Amino acid sequence: MSLVFSAITSGSDDLKAIISAISTLVEEATFVASAEGITFRGMDPSHVALIDISWPNSAFEKYECDSDIKFGVRIDEFSKLIKRAEKKDSIELGISDDNMLLVTIGKNKKYKIRLIESSASDTPLPKIPYDAKIELSSTAFDKILGDVQVVSDYLTMIATESKAEFSGKGDSGEVVIELQKGTDDVQDLSVKQESTGTYSLEYLNPVVKAVGTTTGSIICEYSSAKPLRIEFKVGNIGRIHFYLAPRVES
Amino acid sequence: MEFIILAEVFKKMEETSKRLELTKLLVDLFEKTPHELISKIVYLIQGKLRPDFEGIELGVGEKLAIKAISKSSGIPIKRIEEDYRKVGDLGHAASIVLEQKTQTTFVVEDITIERVYDTLYKIATLDGPRSQDMKMKYISSLLNDANPLEARFILKILLGILRLGIAENTVMDALAAAYTGTKENRALLEKAYNVSSDLGKVAEVTAKKGLDGIKTFQVTVFNPIRPMLAERVKSEKEAMEKMGNKFAAEYKLDGERAQIHVKSNAVKLFSRSLEDITRHYPDIVEKIPKNLKVNDAILEAEVVAINEDSGEYLPFQELMHRRRKYKIEKAVSEYPITVNFFDLLYLDGKSCLEVEYTKRREMLQKILSENEFAKLVPMTVVQNDNEIEDFLENSINSGCEGLMLKMLDASYKAGARGNSWLKLKREYKNELGDSIDLIVIGAFFGRGRRTGKYGTLLLASYDDQNDTFPSICKVGTGFTDEDLDQLYQLLQDKVTLKKNPRIDSEMEADVWLEPELVLEIMASEITLSPIHKTAMNAIRKNSGLALRFPKFTGKLRLEKTPEDASTTQEIIALYKGQRKVIQNQKQI
Repeated sequence: MSLVFSAITSGSDDLKAIISAISTLVEEATFVASAEGITFRGMDPSHVALIDISWPNSAFEKYECDSDIKFGVRIDEFSKLIKRAEKKDSIELGISDDNMLLVTIGKNKKYKIRLIESSASDTPLPKIPYDAKIELSSTAFDKILGDVQVVSDYLTMIATESKAEFSGKGDSGEVVIELQKGTDDVQDLSVKQESTGTYSLEYLNPVVKAVGTTTGSIICEYSSAKPLRIEFKVGNIGRIHFYLAPRVES
Repeated sequence: MEFIILAEVFKKMEETSKRLELTKLLVDLFEKTPHELISKIVYLIQGKLRPDFEGIELGVGEKLAIKAISKSSGIPIKRIEEDYRKVGDLGHAASIVLEQKTQTTFVVEDITIERVYDTLYKIATLDGPRSQDMKMKYISSLLNDANPLEARFILKILLGILRLGIAENTVMDALAAAYTGTKENRALLEKAYNVSSDLGKVAEVTAKKGLDGIKTFQVTVFNPIRPMLAERVKSEKEAMEKMGNKFAAEYKLDGERAQIHVKSNAVKLFSRSLEDITRHYPDIVEKIPKNLKVNDAILEAEVVAINEDSGEYLPFQELMHRRRKYKIEKAVSEYPITVNFFDLLYLDGKSCLEVEYTKRREMLQKILSENEFAKLVPMTVVQNDNEIEDFLENSINSGCEGLMLKMLDASYKAGARGNSWLKLKREYKNELGDSIDLIVIGAFFGRGRRTGKYGTLLLASYDDQNDTFPSICKVGTGFTDEDLDQLYQLLQDKVTLKKNPRIDSEMEADVWLEPELVLEIMASEITLSPIHKTAMNAIRKNSGLALRFPKFTGKLRLEKTPEDASTTQEIIALYKGQRKVIQNQKQI
């Protein structure tokens, strides 16, 4: 029985963003391809952050998959090839008969890389009600992270009905950045209950940078002292969710 | 098995230094340990993950560990560094810091010994551009779930600072007691350890198969054997007392002792401490199979840096240039070596450990075809202190450290320091401060880059009482390519068909020269020599004086006539006036 799996992207940006986001968390990634599309779910080794990606068949130029398949790759190896693609190049993914990953970039660049045994166990998603939701442009959020990083290793977010406050505190000093509801900076702010959460910049920064340019806006959802979920809205991709466990003062 | 059990044993071990108590703690631990886990525990106790020769090293630096602690605890690096400075031990500091940890996680997993071992193994084997970051994540994955005591020992293993003070013998005592009923059986375990160099494997086999299993351990190619060691003696007399009146003496070369494993042209090298040093010596890997008429073999040799053009041995330090990660090809061509074989431990499917020395040396001689690269270590059978002394002086003059003395009928006692091998070094070495001026009396054609020129010169001092030029040393070091060109021009028309009768030398030079040209030479010391004629019989009967590690300073003393060169009397005075320095007691 030979399996049929072929997925062709239009352009290379989306795949680059996905791979670069995943590479901030894990070194080996297992993807699942099914008739509906390609999904990935993985947690970093220290169990502090999690990425959940769903890339529906409709997002591809052409997509064919007649049975569920799992394929594992070393992210740094995969990432190196994908970087060889120009912005406009389409990328075709497939599995060869000798069980290698086929990556065709543009019309004529055909790579084959080794697959690795997929070790991923099913990672459950944290199920939590989110009391606060802040939507803002990714560039604005990236700037806020940069501003806070100057004095602190972590970001504290306080959301009230009227404003969102981002702050940080470290040995050298502290910073507060206030965004009022209804201004250009905040695209949406809905708060069921005033919420305060603190999250490590060490995890936030790389992933926001990685997806950064590809995404227009991001949505942060969280509750007090509970995990944060960031949704990156990337053009064609159904879902990129990044979950981050909070820091709590002991 | 829970890691906390091991952590608690470690804590108790840190609190005692009594061997009996340590053994007792180990026996109790081993009795609780499932057989599949015993090897891992034995490695962890030694702060390792695998036997040394496999080269799996954790190599985690303090900086990275501190970052990971910060990541897991959410406490800034600066504060951790302050705590560290106060407590003085990063393991302890971490356990304090982690009590206040603030970073939460999605899942909490149990800290089992298997998990700690597997995670440490991943950390040790990670490489690539992002490996530092991934290492840190793996470290914090453990710290996130660890309690303070567990964290303390995880970090100590990671940083290589777990110092439980447990000797290998203590581990073997405990293994024997736990699995064979009595400590008395340690000798059997030790035998297995000596041929396998893998204490974890010995532990596992003892646990699973008992004494029957232990007896099946055999010498295997590519698995290093623990080297036989030598006891140090201070004098020829002491050596005679210990060895009897007929035994072998070998040059003790100042190089790196290497165990060379060969199997159908594949080669692996292990250091004296059984680290895999294959990558330092690609030239040995390439060339040695051609020198050996064997299918498979384990040999021992001293690898020595040489001056390729003159063949002179160079001091040990020169070999250190081979210990680099990158551009090893460059080091290979810049720092050439010779491989000097002295023992044979395994040959074509059979262990030679039980074979007596004389026979091993004979077999070695048979399978080795010598050339410039691979040689036998010079050996002679000696019967009295004079013979030892002569051979010792010869060895010193060729740049060696002294002699190895070996009983003719002794087997190879792996892992043991016994009386069947002795090392004899001079207790002090002399230091020669001044340069001296010597006359060129002969020359040897060069090799390699020096082909077609003189690579080595034979030098003499001036004996003003007999008006002769007695030889004092050969020199091939210190010459630039330009020097050699110039010297060849200068010396060409001094070549004589017959040795000038004023020359006093028994060496066989390629060409003899009119004693006219004077060179300035530095040397590490003046030593006694049965070969060279300078000051013959003046210090000791049948010995002259020679220079050790002579080097051309770059100065041609064209203004000097040969009669203006350093005289024999001056050399004797220098010899007597040398500063004596006690040799450091380097382990062989």
